[in-house]
This record gives sequence, structure tokens and C-alpha cells, in this order.
Amino acid sequence: MTVAGAVGDVRPTKPRTWWKAVVVLAVIAGITVWSSIAIGVDVAAIAENAHNAANTLIQLMQPDYSFFPQTVPALLQTVQMAIIATAVSVVIALPVSFWASRATNPNSAALGIVRFIMNVVRSVPDLLYASLFVTVVGTGALSGIFALVLFNLGILVKLVSEALDGLDRGGQEAALASGASWFKANRQAMLPEVAPVYISQAIYVLELNIRASTVIGLVGAGGLGMLIDQVRTFYQYHYLSLVILEILVIVVLLELLSSFARRRLIK
Amino acid sequence: MTAVTTRQTGTERPSSTGPAASRAPQRPSKPLHLGTKLIWVVVTIVVIAAFWSIDISWDALLTLPQKLVHYLGLMFLPPAWSKLPDALGATMLSVAMAWFGTLLGIIISFPLSLLATRGLTPAVVRWPLRGVFAVLRAVPEVVIAVLMLSVTGLTAFTGALAIAIGSIGTLGKWGYESFESVDRGPIEAATAAGASRLQVMRWGVWTSAKPDVYAFWLYRFEISVRASAILGLIGAGGIGKMLVDNIQFRVWDVVGMLMIVVVVVTMIIDQLSGMVRHRIIEGRWELPIVTALRRRSVKRARSESVDLKITADD
Repeated sequence: MTVAGAVGDVRPTKPRTWWKAVVVLAVIAGITVWSSIAIGVDVAAIAENAHNAANTLIQLMQPDYSFFPQTVPALLQTVQMAIIATAVSVVIALPVSFWASRATNPNSAALGIVRFIMNVVRSVPDLLYASLFVTVVGTGALSGIFALVLFNLGILVKLVSEALDGLDRGGQEAALASGASWFKANRQAMLPEVAPVYISQAIYVLELNIRASTVIGLVGAGGLGMLIDQVRTFYQYHYLSLVILEILVIVVLLELLSSFARRRLIK
Repeated sequence: MTAVTTRQTGTERPSSTGPAASRAPQRPSKPLHLGTKLIWVVVTIVVIAAFWSIDISWDALLTLPQKLVHYLGLMFLPPAWSKLPDALGATMLSVAMAWFGTLLGIIISFPLSLLATRGLTPAVVRWPLRGVFAVLRAVPEVVIAVLMLSVTGLTAFTGALAIAIGSIGTLGKWGYESFESVDRGPIEAATAAGASRLQVMRWGVWTSAKPDVYAFWLYRFEISVRASAILGLIGAGGIGKMLVDNIQFRVWDVVGMLMIVVVVVTMIIDQLSGMVRHRIIEGRWELPIVTALRRRSVKRARSESVDLKITADD
């Protein structure tokens, strides 16, 4: 407050008054009270079930490693789904990102259409896609792959087209001036510039897919999520903790790999 | 000029064919290319192996377009708007879950992230905390919720708790990262003036990190809204539960309506939270979409002025 007062002579009015803080706090408190009523906060239930929870935690701390052979197919499927979905979406996302960037697409009508579609694609949660494709295609890895591909497209196109927007357009301008078509100019001048970003985002997406494919399995789209769903219905916490451990290991490994690869790419 | 060429050869690697090959003698970095090619070969093999080994009946692809059209027709021609009030009620429950969970996560993670900041606490405290954050970040919220079932039963409250625990990981990490990126000046000044550790945190760190921290709290709320919809799918209530129930009973027109509601609500919440974030960082109220539109028009104006300059030079 006192610091703000010192620069006060630069500003025409003192920007902050105590009542604003009170209003903000009141709004936050109001929403919080409403939300706690809506969800039915029940502290007593936690206290009551403390014993139960302790038991669960103890079971969780002792993963049953003998269950491992049974998890291998699901584990493998999770990795396969993530790789395939990333590969497919990487191929689709490249032209679409060029289409969705102002720097590489001179046609503003086409630009608007693509951007609107991509906005909609992005705002649908991955799990929604998964449940939709499970009903259309049936349970299994294929519906999971479809869900992941759409999920990836949203992210990849946004990130890559934004990278394209931020590029220096000198090379492209030179190519256009020398009579190249937009396609050729983008191919020769913009693609090499955006390639490192593109590859590093692809790795990031692969990492996201491993996480996501554990979740989308819950609605029947294959992978470790399906296994989680099976063991949770029987409260087999020894098994569950093993599955969680596996997810943790894959995620951490991939994170290491991707941070290494990205450091190499960006240098 | 030389700087430009070296930069291009550096970034051109993934697509180094044609003209690049003819200039090859100029480049000293041939072995690196070999390594890159090897990586590409490995990546290709991995992808092909994944396609080849996965157990999928690909013929399902053939009937997919017609099935998709069929189901999309059932969902959206027309969506069941009569169930809209129910959907909005369920959405509010999801949002309440997200809000409460995020707030709880903020309350828990804030002191923890201060404790995990380099320069404020000894490494003995710091590293275990960071480990906890990393583990919490790696476990999906849904899994946390599954674990919480035994504690409170399957209610919206469980969902909120799961969101709280899940958000501790991200909030904690963002917290100590922004505390560490703070300008060292005020910290030094406070230390020199004889401030205690707590006082350094209050006056040296918090005052400068405040806008960033508020901004990522809001961003985390946006993520939590999405997560709360997902938590509904395992039965924690809210829009997700309504969606799963309707999918199970194959009430497609309601499913279609719910999808529209999910998309619209997510967009609205992103815009609102973006507006508050803009107020915190820039000091003015503005919807993100307005910001984007203005930036676009400014950019266009700038490029037009460049064009004008070029024509003037001609």
C-alpha cells in the first residue's frame, strides 16, 4: 500500500481503495459458501471414515507386484494408443496449422472457419470424445485413438499456428516476391523455421496422451484406464496402487525423455 | 547474413533434402545429421510397430463415417432442449465442485510452495516437497477420486477433494517457480534490513509474485472445471454423471444437448476467468476474445502501414 502511494504522483488517482478489496473478498466468500452448500461439504464424514481411509492407504502402500503380468497388455495398449494417436495427429496437424495461421494463410475467410472449428474441437474434453466414440465405434482401443487424435489436434494446431504467427516472415516475403506460390513460400521459408517447435510439441502431446489414455479408459476406450475401472469396482487397492505406480513410471520416464529432446531441439 | 544462414542450417535438419544436400561440403556437422537420421529411423520403426502390433479391427473404420453421421444426427437433430434446466443445474454443481476444490487446493498449496522455494528454505525441506508435487501432478484426478471413494463415499464433495489434491501438484510447482523468478532486489533489501524469513516472504517475494500467482490460480480453476466434468463420469455428480447416464441409456438427443452445454460453459468460464486475469495483470477489464480481436486489428494495421511505407519508398 505504501509503495503504491510513493508512485501515486505519477498516477492521476489512487487506484486501490479498501472497499474494492472488501467487495472482491465478499464475492469470493459468497461463491465459496454457495459452492460448499451445493456440493454438500461433510467434514464429519471424513472423520467417521478416517479408519477406513487409513486402511485403504495402508493397502495402497503395498502394491501387489504379482499382478504385474496381468497389467502388461493394458500397459502396452496405453503406449500403443498414445503413439498411434500422436503419429496420426501430427500428420493431420501440419497442414491444418498452416491453414490456421495468419502468417501462412492469406485468405481470412478460410482462416476464420478453421480457427472456429479448432476452437470448438479444443473446448470438448477428451473424455467426452472418448465416451462418444465408445458408443459409435464400440469399446476398445480404436475409439480411444479417435478421442486422442481429436484432443491432440486441438492442442497441436493451436500451439503450432501460434508459433507460425510469431515467426519472422522475411524469408516468406522474399519467396513471394520472387514469384513463389503461397504453398511454395510456406514450404521453403516457414516450415524449416517452425519445425523444431512442431517436433517439440509433438513430443509434449505424446506425453499428454499417456496421461489421457489412462483416463479415457474409464469409459471403455482401452488401456490402463479400463484396468483401473475393473479393479476399482472390486476395491482391489493392492492392484490399483500397482497400476498407479506404472502410470507414474511411464509419465516420469516420458517427461525426462521429452525434456531432454526439447532441450536438444531448442538448444 | 552469415548469422541467417547458420540459423537456417540449424533448423533445417528435419527436412534436409534437395538444395541442402548440394551445399553439404560447407557444413562441418555431418555426424550430427547421421544421429538425427538414426532417431528418425527409430521413431518410424516405433510408430510402425505400434500400428502393426495393436489389436484393432481396422474394418470398423470403413463403417465409421456413416455411423458417425447417424449418431450425430440423433444427437443434434435436434438436441433435447427440454432437459436444459437439469443440465444447467448439473453444470452448476460441477462448477461448484471445481471452485471449492481449487480454493482448498490454493489454501493448502500456497504455504507449501513458499516452503519449496529456493533461497527461502533449506534443501531438506525443499526437495521432499517438490517430490510430492511431482507425484501429485503425475496422478490423474480421476485416479485420486477413485482413491478417495473409501473416505467419503461417492459424492460431489469427494470430487471437490480430489480436485483439491490434484491441484496441489500443479499449483505448488507454479507457485515455487514464480517465487523463484521474482526480482532478487526486494529480497536482498529486506534481508539487509534485518527481516526474518517470514518477513522476506511477505515483503520481498509475495508483493512481486502476486499478479502471476493470482493469474495461475484462475488458470487452475479453468482446468478444474474441465476436471470436474470428468470426475462426474465415475459418479461424482454434476454434468459428467448426467452425460454418462444418458449415454448408458442411449438418450442421444439429451447427450447432444449436454455436449453443447459443456462446450459453451467451458468457453464462457474461460472467457470470464481470462477477463479477471487481464484485470489483474493489465489493470483493465477485458474479455480475452476482445484482446485477440484487437491484437489482430493492430497487427493488420501495422502490416498495412509497412505496405504503405514500401509503396512510398517505391
